[in-house]
Amino acid sequence: MIEVQSLSRSFGKVQAVQNVTFTAPDGQITGLLGPNGAGKSTTLRMLYTLLKPASGSARIDGFDVTTSAIEVQRRIGVLADARGLYERLTTRENIRYYGRLHDMEGPELENQIDRLLVLLDMQAIADRKTEGFSTGEKLKVAIARALVHNPSNVLLDEPTNGLDVMSTRAMRQFILRLREEGKCVLFTSHIMQEVAALCDQVVIIAHGRVTATGTPQSLREQTGKESLEDAFVAAIGSEEGLE
Amino acid sequence: MMKKIWVIVEKELLDNLRDYRSWTTGLFWALFGPLMLGGMIMILGNTVRDKVYGGLHLPVQGAENAPNLITFLETHEMIIDPAPVDPQAAVIAGDVNVVLIIPPAYPEEFSAGKTASLQLVFDSTRQTAMVDIQRIKLLLEEYSRYMGSLRLAMRGVSPEVIRVVQVQEQDTATPQSQALVFLSMLPYFIIFAIFNGASPIITDATAGERERRSLEPLLLNPLPRGWVATGKMISAMPFAVINLLITLFGFGAIFEFLPIEEMLGMKIGLSLGSLTAIFLICLPVVFLACAIQTVIASFTRTTKEAGTYLPFVGLIPSLPGLALAFLPVKPALWMMLIPTFGQQILINQFLRSEPISASNVVVSTIVTLVMSALITLAAIRFYEHERIVIG
Repeated sequence: MIEVQSLSRSFGKVQAVQNVTFTAPDGQITGLLGPNGAGKSTTLRMLYTLLKPASGSARIDGFDVTTSAIEVQRRIGVLADARGLYERLTTRENIRYYGRLHDMEGPELENQIDRLLVLLDMQAIADRKTEGFSTGEKLKVAIARALVHNPSNVLLDEPTNGLDVMSTRAMRQFILRLREEGKCVLFTSHIMQEVAALCDQVVIIAHGRVTATGTPQSLREQTGKESLEDAFVAAIGSEEGLE
Repeated sequence: MMKKIWVIVEKELLDNLRDYRSWTTGLFWALFGPLMLGGMIMILGNTVRDKVYGGLHLPVQGAENAPNLITFLETHEMIIDPAPVDPQAAVIAGDVNVVLIIPPAYPEEFSAGKTASLQLVFDSTRQTAMVDIQRIKLLLEEYSRYMGSLRLAMRGVSPEVIRVVQVQEQDTATPQSQALVFLSMLPYFIIFAIFNGASPIITDATAGERERRSLEPLLLNPLPRGWVATGKMISAMPFAVINLLITLFGFGAIFEFLPIEEMLGMKIGLSLGSLTAIFLICLPVVFLACAIQTVIASFTRTTKEAGTYLPFVGLIPSLPGLALAFLPVKPALWMMLIPTFGQQILINQFLRSEPISASNVVVSTIVTLVMSALITLAAIRFYEHERIVIG
C-alpha cells in the first residue's frame, strides 16, 4: 500500500510537485494521469526514494521513503523512466544481478527468473546479450529485473511508452495480472484511454497539483461530464496531453 | 555487506571483461613504458658505443694547410672526410654534426710561431652531436698543448712553467650516466600504467552506467549507495594490478634480454626480488588510482567527459617521476608524505640498488592508504547525493 501525504518538491524556482496527496491500496491499479511535465515522474521518483521530498511524506507498507529507504526499496519493484540494461550481459544475467542485490540466490533465484521468463514470454531471448534488443524486448527485461524479488508494490513510469500495439496489449494484460496477484500497482501515463481501461482509481495531476481523484465512474460524476475524456479535460483545465 | 559489495564487483568484472576493447587498450598502456624505454636504451646504447669506441668522421676544410694536425687527428682515431662546400649550411641542415675549417693563413701563422686560428662549426643545441664535438675539442686542445710544450722545450723553457695547475678529474657518475636518466623515467611509466589500467573500467562503471541510464534503476536496489561505489571501485583494482604486473614484467624482460651491460656498460638492478619489492610498494597506489578516478567519474556526466579528465589524472601524479629523471633529489621523509611521489623515489632507489629506509616505506604506504580512504569517502558522498542520478 502506498500512502502519499502533502508531498512537495521543487527544482530551483520550478514547483514540480505541490501538496500531492493520494492513497494506492493493495489489489488495485492506481493511475497517475496528467500531461507531459505535470509532475508525475517527480512524484514517482520521490516514492521510489530517488528524490527527497521538500515537504510532506510518503509511506510504502508503512515505511517512510526518506527515513527507511532500504526497507522501502525491498518492498517496491520499479520500472523507472531510465531503464537502461547492461548490454554485454544476457537477459538472464541482467535479471540475476538484481535478484542477488535483493539477497536472493541459488534455486530460489533461478526458479523466480524462469517464472518471469515464462510470464513475460521471453524464453527465446533468455540467454542472448541484450545489445540490439527491440524496445519491447528491453522493456520486458527491465520489468523482469524490477519484479525479481516479487515486491508487493509495483511502480511503473509510462510503461507503454514507445511500444507497438501488440506489445502495449501484452503490457496491459501483465498489469492486470499483477492486480490479480494482490499487488498494489501504481503507474503513470499521459494516455487517457489506457488509464480508463486499466485503473480502479485515477489521480489526475496538472501543474504539479492533484486536480481530481476517484474511480473513472466517480470522476465522470464529479465533473458532470458524460465521457472520461471530457472529465479529464475539465479536471486539468485544458486539452493538452490528449491522444 | 561484503557479500553485496561482491555482487557488484563480480558483475562489473564480468561486464568489463566482455568489453575487451576497453581493457586491451589499458593493456597497451602497460606495455607502452617497457617498449618505449627498451627502444630508447637500444638507440642510446648504439650511439654511446659508436661515439666512445668507434672512429669518428670529421669533415675538414683546408686539410692541406695543416698536414701535421691531420696526422695527429688520424692517429687519434679520427677519419678525415672532405668538408661540404658550405659547412655552415651543412651543419644547420644536420647533414654533418661538426666541421673543422683550417684557414689558408694557418701554415704561415703556424710557422711564425704565432697563435694560429682554427674554426669549428657546430650546433650546441644538438644533444646527439655533443659527444662528437667534445671529443674533437679535446683533441684539438691536446694538440695545442702538445705543440706548445714542444715550442717551449725548443726555447729551453720547461713546459711546466705554463701549466699552473693540472686538474685531475674524478667523476663519480658512471660513464653511462645518460642511461640513468632514462632509467629514472621508469617510476613515471609504472604509476601511469596503474592509472591507465583502472580508468576504462571506472569510466564504464560510473559515468558509462549513467550515460546508458542504468544507474537510476541500479540505485533503487536495497543497499547503501556507498556499497555500490565501493564495489565499483574495487572491480577496477584487478585491472590496475594486472597492468602494474605487465609493466614490471615488461621492464624485467627488457633488462633481462637486451644486452644492457654490453651496450651501456652498466648493470641495472631489476632482479625478481626488486621487481617484487616495487610491486608491493605500488599496491597502495592502485587503491589511490581507483579512488581518485571513481570520484571524478562520479561527477562527470558522460563517458566522453570522463574520458577528457581521466588521462590527465594519470598524468599528474606520475609527473614528479619525470621530473626526478632530470632533477635527482635526495630522499627525505617529507617526500614520502606525497602519495605517488614517495613511491616513485622508492622505486628509483630500488633501481639504483641504494639502501632503502624502512620508515620511508612505511610512511609512504600509510599516507597513501589514508589518503585513498578519504578520497573513497568523498566518492561515496557523491554517490549519496541526488545529483548523481538527476545530473
